[in-house]
Amino acid sequence: MIEFYPQLRLVHIVAVFASGGLFLLRGLSLFAGPGWVAAGAMSLPVRLLSYTIDTLLLTAALMLMTIVQQYPFVDAWLTVKVVLLAVYIALGLIAFRFARTPSGRVGAFLVALCVYGYIISVAWSHDPLGVFRATPG
Amino acid sequence: MTSTRKLWTLLGALLVVSFSVLLWSGSQISQKAPPMPERVVATDGRTIYTRTEIETGRQVWQSMGGMQLGSIWGHGGYVAPDWSADWLHRELMALLDQWAARDYGAADFAALNNEQKSGLQSRLRDQMRLNTYDPKTATITLSTERAAAIATVSAHYQSLFGNDPQTAELREAYAMKNNTVRSAEHRRVLSAFFWWTSWATVTHRPGDTITYTNNWPSEPLVDNRPPSSTYLWSAFSVMFLLAGIALLGWHYAVTHERNETHWLPATDPMRSLKATPSMLATAKYFWLLLALFLVQILLGAITAHYQIEGQLVYGYEMAEVLPYSITRTWHTQLAVLWIAVAWLATGLYIGPAISGYEPPYQRLGVNVLWVCLIIIAVGSFAGQWFAVMQILGLANNFWFGHQGWEYADMGRFWQWFLFIGLMLWLLLVGRALWPTLRSKSESRSIVGLLFLSTVAIGVFFAAALMWGEHTHISMVEYWRWWLVHLWVEGFFEVFATAVIAFLFTRLGLLAVVTATVAVLFATIIFMAGGVLGTLHHLYFVGSPTPVLALGASFSALEVVPLAYIGFEAYHTYRLGGSTTWMRRYHWPVMFFIAVSFWNIVGAGLFGFLINPPLSLYYMQGLNLTPLHGHTALFGVYGMLGIGLVLFCLRGMKPQLAWHDGILRTSFWCLNIGLALMALLTLLPLGTMQLFAALEHGYWYARSAEFMQQPLVELLIWMRVPGDTIFSIGALALAIFVAGLWLFARPEKQEDVPEGPRDKVRADPPDGPK
Repeated sequence: MIEFYPQLRLVHIVAVFASGGLFLLRGLSLFAGPGWVAAGAMSLPVRLLSYTIDTLLLTAALMLMTIVQQYPFVDAWLTVKVVLLAVYIALGLIAFRFARTPSGRVGAFLVALCVYGYIISVAWSHDPLGVFRATPG
Repeated sequence: MTSTRKLWTLLGALLVVSFSVLLWSGSQISQKAPPMPERVVATDGRTIYTRTEIETGRQVWQSMGGMQLGSIWGHGGYVAPDWSADWLHRELMALLDQWAARDYGAADFAALNNEQKSGLQSRLRDQMRLNTYDPKTATITLSTERAAAIATVSAHYQSLFGNDPQTAELREAYAMKNNTVRSAEHRRVLSAFFWWTSWATVTHRPGDTITYTNNWPSEPLVDNRPPSSTYLWSAFSVMFLLAGIALLGWHYAVTHERNETHWLPATDPMRSLKATPSMLATAKYFWLLLALFLVQILLGAITAHYQIEGQLVYGYEMAEVLPYSITRTWHTQLAVLWIAVAWLATGLYIGPAISGYEPPYQRLGVNVLWVCLIIIAVGSFAGQWFAVMQILGLANNFWFGHQGWEYADMGRFWQWFLFIGLMLWLLLVGRALWPTLRSKSESRSIVGLLFLSTVAIGVFFAAALMWGEHTHISMVEYWRWWLVHLWVEGFFEVFATAVIAFLFTRLGLLAVVTATVAVLFATIIFMAGGVLGTLHHLYFVGSPTPVLALGASFSALEVVPLAYIGFEAYHTYRLGGSTTWMRRYHWPVMFFIAVSFWNIVGAGLFGFLINPPLSLYYMQGLNLTPLHGHTALFGVYGMLGIGLVLFCLRGMKPQLAWHDGILRTSFWCLNIGLALMALLTLLPLGTMQLFAALEHGYWYARSAEFMQQPLVELLIWMRVPGDTIFSIGALALAIFVAGLWLFARPEKQEDVPEGPRDKVRADPPDGPK
């Protein structure tokens, strides 16, 4: 499988940005767009697209994990990623489905975006501290 | 004579004839099976193997999981090789290398030129295919060169099944745990069994030019090619299929105008049904089966993952705790178990529902049976684990450990326990149905057929009790397929047809008389191909040519009713929308429609892809087999099980509102997930293997060399999207069922607008099935 490592990494990264980008777009449409745009953000095709991207992302992640032989609950940076992924999903559900007030929805959405950004920084640095790690010198 | 009586007579006659021929085929297999020698000796007088060693070797093989780790004669798991084909190829190469060194001073056979290779291959063919078994002394005599080759291959296997670092990489590729067989002596006798199964694949039957396994597996080095009978009967099987389709089409053309009309009920007749205590007690069966289903999926994911990491699951040394042969055993057993629990529960639920009679102590019986099922599942699984971990030992393995026969793996004690449990089930269902069976009502016939199919499901489990610890493997295979095939492609089909038609009659959507005729006709059609179709599993397990001919012809007929399944699906769909209150049954009906879809795709198309003898000669044990297995077993019976569960739950909790969104998610995820598993992994991988088998021989398509290619690994990874979606579907179903108890909310009147939509014409499904 090591032969496919560059391609799989590319698929994973593209899927990460596609997933985050779609989340951002859906949030903006829902909270700031006109009615028909907001409805479109939660429509079946958009939701299906989101599921497809996330499934692709997960598959590529599992494949990369077995290639590099690093695993959550063994390697700290992957543990942080998995835990924060769960937090990100929960926040997404609150923002799009469960929050009862507009401020609650927007708040959950913004925190979710911060968590998303932090996950990317952890992935980028292979360090559980991500963006907060001490820079040398 | 009424048409119902005529059909009953025809069905009786058909079953008598079919089972007579099936029994005769068994006697043929028994007589013509490859002989078990008392001794295998070399020409210099040395004893290579004894009968005891070969038979003990088989026990060792069974104790480590048997067919769940690699396969014998093409039957079993797909990650490790087919041991018969693998041994054969290794023995051939060992002999050729030996001769190349001795005759030409070459390093090995590969170093020779083509002319030299041809000469040695010709010698190899003559020596290997010659039958040197002497029936008078029950002795097989082999050349000293072959004895040396056997010793070389045996050493390889003793290393592989142990903990030798030299074969560690291969163990990982085959998903074998280290020290699969702990005892060195057991490893030695295990190789004796593998050798004997390989000997049968290459040795001519007495006075014939084909081998005991009808030249299976394909091995170009010794001219193991499909015999002419496979070409002949494959061609004829296609002809029989087309003739069957034409005949059934004609029957449909003649009968489909006989539509009848009847008034559909204004309200849901089942809504007023009062569930008896025993009916309510079946709820725990539904919780249990959902738990089993979820565990089965988890075990399937681990089993599939072993194809990637061999002994690890995402870095964790899982093989030390739950090795591949255990996860695969439990995965396949749970598939049958949870589906069976769904059907058992349905039988127990609808028995009193039909007759309106609650026999004394019925609830107690339902509860006792449920406890028994848990004890059987836990007990048999524990025994299998102790066996595979090589803790149980050979003495107790047959009764309490792992029998190693795929789908009939549990120890004999547990098989008896299950059989007794099934008899208890029959008793409970039978006594509840008794008032209806004795009455002269028009439902009597269809209820009788439904009951007969449950009797057959229970009684035919006894086929699993027909073999003993040392019964010849060909005969074990014969009885094993009685159990698996007759259940799945015979009585399950009848039960499925009868129960769906029956439920529609209870809802008042079908007239009882027309439904009865339709179900009887469908039963005759299913059983016409289904009973003797059993033999298509036995082409290459030591059966003679007539068995192959019968298997090919009748298994093609099994596909005939499936060609018309679209009629049934459309009919079900129409009934689903025939009244406004049928909205309450939308999702059970959708699952019934899925049954029809997967019946044609999984059982019909993917089944017929591998069924003709010529196809199966190359495809047996490749990934095209699980393609058929998953799409037919889950696609048809899993979907039916879920449909029945939902139907019963609707009756059990008639006043509750259903969360349609969760069921929609479950339905589509299960179907899309299954389709993705088939199309992204099993079909392309199986096709790749088929090309390899055609090009280089069967051993290569199953070898580590082939299965470790990056493209193959990529295809295996492609299971993740489908499996993830499928798992979401199963979780959604579990959440839905749990929600009926945990978050129940009453159904509002406006949710179930009642009243007839119209006088709807309900077509009798007496067209082709």
